[in-house]
Amino acid sequence: MNIRAIGNLLILATTVALSYGMQVSKPHYAELTAPIPVDGAVHDTVRARSFAVRLDRVVFARTLKSDQFGQEKLLTTSGLWAVVTTSLTATSTSTTVADGTWQGPTGLRYHQSERLGYRQDMPPHSIDPGLERRGLFIFEMPPDQIPGASLLVAARRFGPLDAQARISLDAVPTGADGQPADVLPQYDLDARL
Amino acid sequence: MTAVSTDLEPAADEGRETEKKWRRRGLAALAILLPLTLAETSYDSVREWLHGDDLIARDVEFGQSVPFGGSEWRLADLRGGKAGRLPDHAFAVIATFAVTVGDPDLQKQWLGCKVILTDAAGRRWLSDFISGVGLPDGVMNCTSAIFSGAKKGEIITVGETFIVPEDAIKTIRPAVGLGSERPWFLRFQRPPK
Repeated sequence: MNIRAIGNLLILATTVALSYGMQVSKPHYAELTAPIPVDGAVHDTVRARSFAVRLDRVVFARTLKSDQFGQEKLLTTSGLWAVVTTSLTATSTSTTVADGTWQGPTGLRYHQSERLGYRQDMPPHSIDPGLERRGLFIFEMPPDQIPGASLLVAARRFGPLDAQARISLDAVPTGADGQPADVLPQYDLDARL
Repeated sequence: MTAVSTDLEPAADEGRETEKKWRRRGLAALAILLPLTLAETSYDSVREWLHGDDLIARDVEFGQSVPFGGSEWRLADLRGGKAGRLPDHAFAVIATFAVTVGDPDLQKQWLGCKVILTDAAGRRWLSDFISGVGLPDGVMNCTSAIFSGAKKGEIITVGETFIVPEDAIKTIRPAVGLGSERPWFLRFQRPPK
């Protein structure tokens, strides 16, 4: 009888310890359902689940010029503007790509700027299979967030368990101070159109 | 003492037997209840998945009329070409359907109406707006048709425009999906050359 009681106590203690261990080590729900990254480099075509993306160019500027409904808009920043030009294609079905995030070297994340308002070449990008489309992602961030950064592109901002393209920006030329080699004083978003 | 213990033993045996029996019943109940719980909790998701997507194709010969969403659908025309402002290696395609309205409650029957193009590889294109290419006179897109107030017996022409890459143009087939008919959708054979 005594041995049985001790045995039961042992089982109980083990169960409590195991349950506690499982509870403290349980990943957060957001982590469990986080997007699945697909890695790539600049000028590579990165194939996510519903779309493929290629980063063509990154331009840094101190001010942005944009034409909005015939009105010229000048946007300044205390940091830097990064204008990322990408080519996007849908994998198998016409879809949209709506989310771009700049992830700094320490993991700080900057969502795409919403200060520009609606533009056709800004997200959400409507894309079709077999047809490449130019799409811009525009960010505003402190200059120290540029070396070692990555661009994250996903179909939606909250896409649990969906693929997310993660493009490493190591190829961006930087000067001795760690800041981008060439920063334009002003970049005109409509100059090429 | 011995007499008492011999008196008790059959009762204890019986108690153990009933306990065993109930344990077995509990186990059997689990085998039924677990799948039932799973079915109950996933029912809504499964239903939404089945009714939200065009999953199972019903093939239709060219020239044939098929009842779908309370009306008779027939592919009237499928034509492609270079028109309007298009990306390189892309064609504009117009698909039109002659629809004899049966059930005039189109807002219920045709909810979520989607005309798509599919190719031999299974890729799907949603309709696009092409600047410089409009639908022919008397042709309306599916959403406008829903609110057109068409009467029973009336024949309406429903059409959509698409942008399709050159490599798909030879095998594209138009397809129609309606909210009331999903997961089934109609996939039409191309008109003969």
